[in-house]
Amino acid sequence: MSASRQSHSEPIVSARGIVNRFGTQVVHDKISLDVMSGEILGIAGGSGSGKSVLLKTLTGLHRPDAGKVLLNGKPIDEVGNVEKAALIGVLFQQGALFSSLSVAQNIMFPMRQHTVLPPEQQERIAAMKLALAGLPADTGIKFPSELSGGMVKRAALARSLALDPRILFLDEPTSDLDPIAASGIDDLILQLNKSLGITVVIVTHDLTTLFTVCRRVAILVDKKIIVDTIDKLMHSHQPWIHDFLHGTRAQGAMSARKHAHGNG
Amino acid sequence: MPTPPSPTQASLPPGVAVTGEGDQLALEGVLDIRTLAAAETALTHWLRQRKSRALDIGKLSDIDTPGALFLCGLRGKGVELTGIRAEHKSLLDLICGLELKPLPKPATVPRWRQFVIDIGKGADEAWRDALDVITFIGRAASATGHALMHPGSLPLPAISRQVAETGVNALPIVGIMAVMISVVIGYQGVAQLRPYGGEDFTINLVAVSVLREMGVLITAIMVAGRTGAAFTAEIGVMMAREEVDALKVMGIEPMTVLVVPRVIGLMITLPLLAFFADIMGLLGGAGIAHVQLGVSPIQYVDRVHHAVDLSDLLVGLVKAPVFAFLIAIIGCMHGLRVRGSAESVGKETTRSVVKAIFLVIVLDALFSIFFEKLGW
Repeated sequence: MSASRQSHSEPIVSARGIVNRFGTQVVHDKISLDVMSGEILGIAGGSGSGKSVLLKTLTGLHRPDAGKVLLNGKPIDEVGNVEKAALIGVLFQQGALFSSLSVAQNIMFPMRQHTVLPPEQQERIAAMKLALAGLPADTGIKFPSELSGGMVKRAALARSLALDPRILFLDEPTSDLDPIAASGIDDLILQLNKSLGITVVIVTHDLTTLFTVCRRVAILVDKKIIVDTIDKLMHSHQPWIHDFLHGTRAQGAMSARKHAHGNG
Repeated sequence: MPTPPSPTQASLPPGVAVTGEGDQLALEGVLDIRTLAAAETALTHWLRQRKSRALDIGKLSDIDTPGALFLCGLRGKGVELTGIRAEHKSLLDLICGLELKPLPKPATVPRWRQFVIDIGKGADEAWRDALDVITFIGRAASATGHALMHPGSLPLPAISRQVAETGVNALPIVGIMAVMISVVIGYQGVAQLRPYGGEDFTINLVAVSVLREMGVLITAIMVAGRTGAAFTAEIGVMMAREEVDALKVMGIEPMTVLVVPRVIGLMITLPLLAFFADIMGLLGGAGIAHVQLGVSPIQYVDRVHHAVDLSDLLVGLVKAPVFAFLIAIIGCMHGLRVRGSAESVGKETTRSVVKAIFLVIVLDALFSIFFEKLGW
């Protein structure tokens, strides 16, 4: 997506009064969230706090029990398939690459469905997306089962970028990765956001990602959501947020942030 | 900075236009994946014409990555891009800066050669497979025999659960199948034997074929599809989730806890199911006899009594435990063959069902010849 669409003024995705229940257990109790165009928003929360359900709700994969999600100002149910594909890209936690297709075919699949480009051009674009995701061209003919964890994430990221969506949803992009691969993904997210102006929503409990990549962080706690910059959240008195951001693991992530900012 | 397109604008198809003439052309509108083909066709002619050219892209409101790739390609062909907007610069820099290589083509083999290779691979695989089956049958038989000789160590709860799952729950479908198959045989029998005045022998035909062959065969095929597949899928998922490795680390033989209860359970269940299928098949025969031949149920019982003796029933039922052993073994073996991902569970399940049904029918043919030679 081009940088011209970068604007911090308007929400591109808004959730209004979302309620999600499973049986009698309430996961989300009337939460509202605005994702601003061009920003990188992190969604964090403890295990079972409903991060993934919130992501599924925001992408229209899960219909909330109450409340509504507006995508680009329009209720998400009313957004057509083609329009939705051009607006949203999702990186699923396990990659969700189609196992019967090669990586390049995976990337070309949405293009084949939604555009009329000739195959050679699709291949050129697929090669470009691979390079954009930091993968060499020969990864294109490999099958998902032949890839390492980090490569699966990058290949899945390349596929989620296939139609140049305006918003990228990333579900735990750095989980299961070694620290080097994880910071590679972090850098990639920052670069895509900066150069393509793409809005990024990251569901993660990787503190380093939250500290170094996300401009704002939404924390799911006690069925509610608290959204702010990480600096302000650091001073929160909410016990879970305090523990989350001041634990021993957070110390390391904090120093990574200082390091990153010192160099930038 | 332009505002993001409003919903109404976004629903309009975006367009791209070429303006200007000579060496100086300009692109207007949106250059993205949808308008790329149009832009390319509009420019091909112009690209072939002159040597030094310039393209003004200042009026482009929006460029996406394929659009930027196209522009970078033009730049590579010696076209000077002018009037680049500040907000497009970083995108163009990023895309033009990528080191792009064409996707490698997968190595292709001539079709005839591929055919020969496939035959060789298939033969090799079939041979290894046969060895695997024999090895596994041996190991499973030894583990099962060991368990039976030490009744104290028999996993009774696991066995009873298997009996319930593979037997009780299969009763309705096996019963319906048996009735259907005797209806099929009965109708064909009446139609074929009537010209010779022998339609009454349809009762013998149904009773003998159901008891000796059809009852147990239909049950075995049903169980291979239902239970064999379930065995492969259950054990396969455990393999994929490293549960089987967890067992091994605890010092527990997967053969003992996963295979033996299933083998014993199915060897108890399948003969019972086959007997049930025999009964249902004979009931179906009674229905046919009543409708097609006007034979009353009492007469039918009497006719069946004369048509068959105990050996017909036993010849049928003696095959059941053998089939059960085979189906359980094949199902478990393919389950334990699952490697890594979930997709291999599907593949192994297919193979397991195909192989089990194939072997059941082959074995049944061998049994027929065997019993014929024995004169039973």
